[in-house]
Amino acid sequence: MTVKTRDLRHHHRRPLRPGRIISYIALTIICALTVLPIVLTFLYSFFPMSEMKAYLATRNNYKEGQWMDILLSPSMVSLRQYYSLLIEKPVYLQLFVNSALYTLAILLGQSIVIPMMAYALSRFKFRGRDALFFIILMLMLLPFQVTMAPSVLTMRTLGLMNTHWAVILPMVFSPFYIFLVRQYMVGIPGDLFEAAMMDGAGTWRCYMHMVLPISKPILGAAAALSFADSWNMVEQPLIYLSNDQARMPLSVMFNQLSTNEPGIAFTGAALYILPALLLYTYFQEDILLGIQLSDMK
Amino acid sequence: MFKKKKSLWLFLLPGLIGLLVFYVVPFLGGIYFSMTDGTIENRFVWFENYQRVWENEVFRLGLKNSLELSLLSAPLIFLFAFILAVMLRALREKSLGFRNLLLMPYLVPSSALLIIWMILFDFGGPINRIVEAMGGQRVLWLETGALRVPVVLLYIWKNVGFSVVIFSAALSSVPDELYEFARLEGASVIQQETKITLPLILPTAFLVFVLAWVNAFKIFKEVYFIGGAYPRDEVYTLQHYMNNQFAKLDYQLVTTAAYSFALIVFALFGLLYLGKGVRGHDR
Repeated sequence: MTVKTRDLRHHHRRPLRPGRIISYIALTIICALTVLPIVLTFLYSFFPMSEMKAYLATRNNYKEGQWMDILLSPSMVSLRQYYSLLIEKPVYLQLFVNSALYTLAILLGQSIVIPMMAYALSRFKFRGRDALFFIILMLMLLPFQVTMAPSVLTMRTLGLMNTHWAVILPMVFSPFYIFLVRQYMVGIPGDLFEAAMMDGAGTWRCYMHMVLPISKPILGAAAALSFADSWNMVEQPLIYLSNDQARMPLSVMFNQLSTNEPGIAFTGAALYILPALLLYTYFQEDILLGIQLSDMK
Repeated sequence: MFKKKKSLWLFLLPGLIGLLVFYVVPFLGGIYFSMTDGTIENRFVWFENYQRVWENEVFRLGLKNSLELSLLSAPLIFLFAFILAVMLRALREKSLGFRNLLLMPYLVPSSALLIIWMILFDFGGPINRIVEAMGGQRVLWLETGALRVPVVLLYIWKNVGFSVVIFSAALSSVPDELYEFARLEGASVIQQETKITLPLILPTAFLVFVLAWVNAFKIFKEVYFIGGAYPRDEVYTLQHYMNNQFAKLDYQLVTTAAYSFALIVFALFGLLYLGKGVRGHDR
């Protein structure tokens, strides 16, 4: 043990022993608090429906000295909530499928458009390139509401209002991801391109066989972040689908779910979180690496 | 760098058309739109709408809240992210697990967490238990202006991880020797971080701050989850105003409010950018 410690010290020239211990403890506490809401959601999804309903009914009690219980273990572990949500109430399953379809369509579109645009912006020289990049930066800063009303008019003109496309298409061209991927591609060494061109590769082959494989970390990162965005979108469906409930993604409906169906609210939430968590686990290395290697200034 | 390649258009065109149709044209069209009166003749009224909007109290309330909420969240995210990144660096290779956990909320849909948040901040909920255990009075988090606290906390909880990742990437490029010298000179940890780390990673810090701030303007989603379309005055943001005017089909007002907002965002960004440029010249 001592040998190992000494090795580490020698290797890292900056041993910060008390600092490290404090950091370790503080981070453990902070991380535990960070994941607590997620853990609780999953925990509560295995409670019997009646118990959960009763528990949620104890909210909004303003009498002094009266508290909500802190529920940590169910009277019995139950999959009843899942059964009810998945089999008895297909409405929510339908909304879940909506969310999945929207997200899938957005990601597919982005995977074609965004790397190409980023490639053009980072590896080509053409007039107006810097201006274009500046416009993308500016667009990235604007909240959705800024172009909301004119966008609706545009959608109407194109005949896309109240269709899935109105939700999907604007997200496909999301300026933030163009920015993110471009910042990564700028950092690919120019020598690689020269070597490839010596071997007779054109711009397309450079793109397909070199840029895309090299950019895998940032593309993974962008995919994961964009998935989170689409999976959690609220404003766009509310505006573009004019309250057509059958076509809404589930993210919009959680307000109603927790008031109308308190017994299964947590299961709905847990099932909704699950794909995001799985995807995150799969892509987390890419997110860290992709951002590490990008030009973030 | 490719020059004068025809294939440029192959790569550029799809994205360019999309950006034009779904972002640039609506944005430019909106400017014209905000200066017409919205009747059938569609008269051009110059800045009448702007005057109407700026005199509107609800708009001003929304603007004030949006600015205050973002000015509350952005520095907090910046500060927390920096401290967390410095602590992560101290842990070296052991920090990876922690960093992954911190980033997790960014990927998790906050809409699904709404219900747990409502329980945590209920009058009889765990947060108030802690408050009372520490000798304080219970707070009506969800029913009064204190609603800002759960909203901002939800926001920070969700977004801090991303800033930590960006900071961590920048911190790893600062050479260890600098700290070695600083410690020999007797600099404290805080001095090391503010005098060495921060200046060296300034451009990244700037980006983190801008992203945190701009995203904080988008805090609407979190407020909407907790407070609905017509929340309490203290958290009624500009986006609520715009959404609600939109529901009333007053597109002129929505657009005008939106451009007033955009103008402020751009102006703030420009100021920050200038500030950065000036400081950059100092070194």
